[in-house]
Amino acid sequence: MSRSTAFQFRSGNSFFHRLDPLTKFAWLLAISLLAFGAYIAWVQILITIAVLFTAFVLARLSPRVVFRSTWLFGLACLSFLVIQTLTLPGSHVAFHLLGHPIYVESADYALASALRIYTIILSSLVFVRTTDPRELAIALVTQMKVPYRIAYAFFIALRIIPTIEEEIKTIHAAQAVRGVVRERSVAGRIGETKRYAMPLLVGSLRKASMMVMSMEARAFGAYPQRTFVEAPQMSASGVAVCTVMLVLVISWYTALGLGYVHSFYVLAA
Amino acid sequence: MALVAADCPADIATLRSTEATAASAAQETMAPTEVRSASDLAIDIRNVSYAYEGESDEVLSHVSLTVRDGEFVLILGPSGCGKSTLLQLMNGTIPHTLKGHLEGEVSVCGKPILSTRIASFATEVGMVFQDPDAQIINTRVRDEVCFGLENLCRPAPEILERQREALDFVGLNGFGDRSIFDLSGGQKQRVSIAAVLAARPRLLVLDEPTANLDPAGMAEIFAVLERLNREAGTTIVMVEHRVDELADRVSRVLMMDRGTIVFDGTPREAFSQRRAAHSEENSTIPTSAWLPQACEFALALGDRLGIPVDASGMPLNVGEAVAFADSCVGTAVATMAPPAADLTRSSTADGPTFLRVSQLGFGYEKDRPILSDISFNLGRDEMIALCGRNGSGKTTLARLLMHINTPPHGTIWLEGKDVADLSAREISSEIGYVFQNPDHQFVTDRVWDEVAYGLKVRNYADNAIEERVGEVLDIVDLQRYRDRSPFSLSLGERRRLSVATMLVLEPHLLVLDEPTIGQDHERAQQLMGLMARLRERYRTTILMITHDVRLIAEWAARALVISGGRLLFDGSPEAMFADERLIAEAGLLTPPVYEISKALAAKHPASLLQPTLSVPELADTIGRMEGKVA
Repeated sequence: MSRSTAFQFRSGNSFFHRLDPLTKFAWLLAISLLAFGAYIAWVQILITIAVLFTAFVLARLSPRVVFRSTWLFGLACLSFLVIQTLTLPGSHVAFHLLGHPIYVESADYALASALRIYTIILSSLVFVRTTDPRELAIALVTQMKVPYRIAYAFFIALRIIPTIEEEIKTIHAAQAVRGVVRERSVAGRIGETKRYAMPLLVGSLRKASMMVMSMEARAFGAYPQRTFVEAPQMSASGVAVCTVMLVLVISWYTALGLGYVHSFYVLAA
Repeated sequence: MALVAADCPADIATLRSTEATAASAAQETMAPTEVRSASDLAIDIRNVSYAYEGESDEVLSHVSLTVRDGEFVLILGPSGCGKSTLLQLMNGTIPHTLKGHLEGEVSVCGKPILSTRIASFATEVGMVFQDPDAQIINTRVRDEVCFGLENLCRPAPEILERQREALDFVGLNGFGDRSIFDLSGGQKQRVSIAAVLAARPRLLVLDEPTANLDPAGMAEIFAVLERLNREAGTTIVMVEHRVDELADRVSRVLMMDRGTIVFDGTPREAFSQRRAAHSEENSTIPTSAWLPQACEFALALGDRLGIPVDASGMPLNVGEAVAFADSCVGTAVATMAPPAADLTRSSTADGPTFLRVSQLGFGYEKDRPILSDISFNLGRDEMIALCGRNGSGKTTLARLLMHINTPPHGTIWLEGKDVADLSAREISSEIGYVFQNPDHQFVTDRVWDEVAYGLKVRNYADNAIEERVGEVLDIVDLQRYRDRSPFSLSLGERRRLSVATMLVLEPHLLVLDEPTIGQDHERAQQLMGLMARLRERYRTTILMITHDVRLIAEWAARALVISGGRLLFDGSPEAMFADERLIAEAGLLTPPVYEISKALAAKHPASLLQPTLSVPELADTIGRMEGKVA
């Protein structure tokens, strides 16, 4: 019995859970494109608010889950923000911190960069928590015409990750009992990996061969195609979400390209 | 979500073999019981020898076997005897997936395996393996049950109907939308069975399907299999070790040893005498654990009373054993002293407490405690069983003792020190922990280094290391392999090596995590024998996490029962087995000998008979009553 992985699908009945996997994938892609295209803070703030709204309201993730899953990344973004704010050059001083000038431009850029990373992590969390990997695999087959063997390989890889994670934890515990202490140096870490690799490899090979036997015994791969009893389909809400995201991405990049987006610094407000 | 039937195009249908099409056409119009081919031989194996690719030793040697429709065949044999290999022939996994050198002829459901694809067996042979987590492909119950028929390009409405039927049959009606991760071990294994039943197979082949389950999960599986065989007429071939529960359910028993079938007959014939087999290391091992306790009791009683017990009179279950004993018991009431206590399980705690658990509570999330308010003490030289259902919190408790998981401050005290303040390395010189899978614990490339590791990291002097490692390698009988890689040893040897790595630190407590899971009883017995030697030498307390009732009955002097994260019981195994509510709550079963002795004691209240966990003790008592045992 152990702690469950945060970045893992959980069934639910929220608006986002009900959307088909490809719509959610399109949403994730659009958020990433918007975030990468925005180098000024106010746009990133809007995107972050939109993603947080999606996480809390549309995907009904609890603040605790969001915090537990992203606090480490949040901390990394915060340090990124502080370092960039203090080190990047700028021309307009916003205020002084312990005698050190904080520039409007560098703070804005740092905030945009930090939020960009956090937004992408957060939107990935929303996607992973609300999307059944199997449905995504089926959608790839039925909607994107990906060969089903490839889609299943992808699905099984995702399905097996928690099992391998669990096995690594067990090996770690088993070796800690032997008196093995976690190494800090690079050479030590390499030695540690070697110790983990052998039992992990032996266990994974055994599991993989069992899976192959179980699949072949049930005629997997016997025919070029297979029936899908339940295949996800894009609903009206899915079409709406895709349309909105497409319009947003095209408008944003058009506006960028035509120079309509003028820099407006948050700290200068 | 819409229901979409992406049926196979017409050209795919033509790819299917004529046979398969004919069989499926027949199945569409028939109930499971009516599905039969012209031949009533489900399996026909003639003079088969087989060696895995790249190996010269044969795993199977001149094996011949025919199984008729409707039979329920149990295969017994020690590890490495070739029983799993034999099962893999039964749907063409050998030779199609697992290559190698195969001689002889094999036909399954009338089809020769050499010229038939594995997929063509999908509607006729269902394969179920030991580990439900490795064989379940999908994450939702319904998807798993539909998987095979989807691969066979059946129309969606038919698939859904069949999955409903299959789930219904295994008693999981309404579980379709559940996540696999939320099911118990027994439920998962029932899903695995439903997943092959959906294709309505004529033959079901199972390789130790209950090895990873607790007794309650095991009972679920055996009940399903019995119904399948009796009501649906499905032929079942199964490798299993749980003979107590199976002896009166199966119609035929095969015993294998070193790649050959050494016995083939009815259960009564199979269990009418004690036999021996060979281990992977080629030493002779007794197979008493393959003898149902009912038979063991009848043989012991026959010995005491000087009555030969032939196969026709051999009891296979508790009811039959009681009737058998009843026929031997007279009305004379003996006046002799009670029998001597069983030495293997006699010792209890002595000396001061060295480990104290006080009001321990633990959980990864505040609102979902795994353990609550656990308190108990451990002394030196005890043999304790920690019991409870899968997921009851047993392993979590043991891991807290080791500080693998961090316990709350002030809840676990080791020799007066708070475990929360000690590192795993400090604790591991006092407490050893033998994991289920020995491979997880190996950290070096050589047997000698493996045993020496614990001493080296604790800065022992070279000569002390040399001396202690040599001594421990002798105890576990691995001195001759001192320069080999741990991974090159057999499973039994790897288990012993894993124990040796703990032993070398002379711990006060050794925790054994499920010593019978994933391995046969002989190995568990060997391991327990090693534990007995350890106690003799170092006065080590052994805490075994287990729900193997025979192991508990035979070895433990004290039992702790955990259910729902709470300690429900701390006392003798006899008192535990006497409490029916507790046994039900802990998902345990009572050992047959206990049931037999209880029933006999109730029938003969004026006699010396009383409920017991020991077969020799019960036989001796009856022998005394009859004046045949001094």
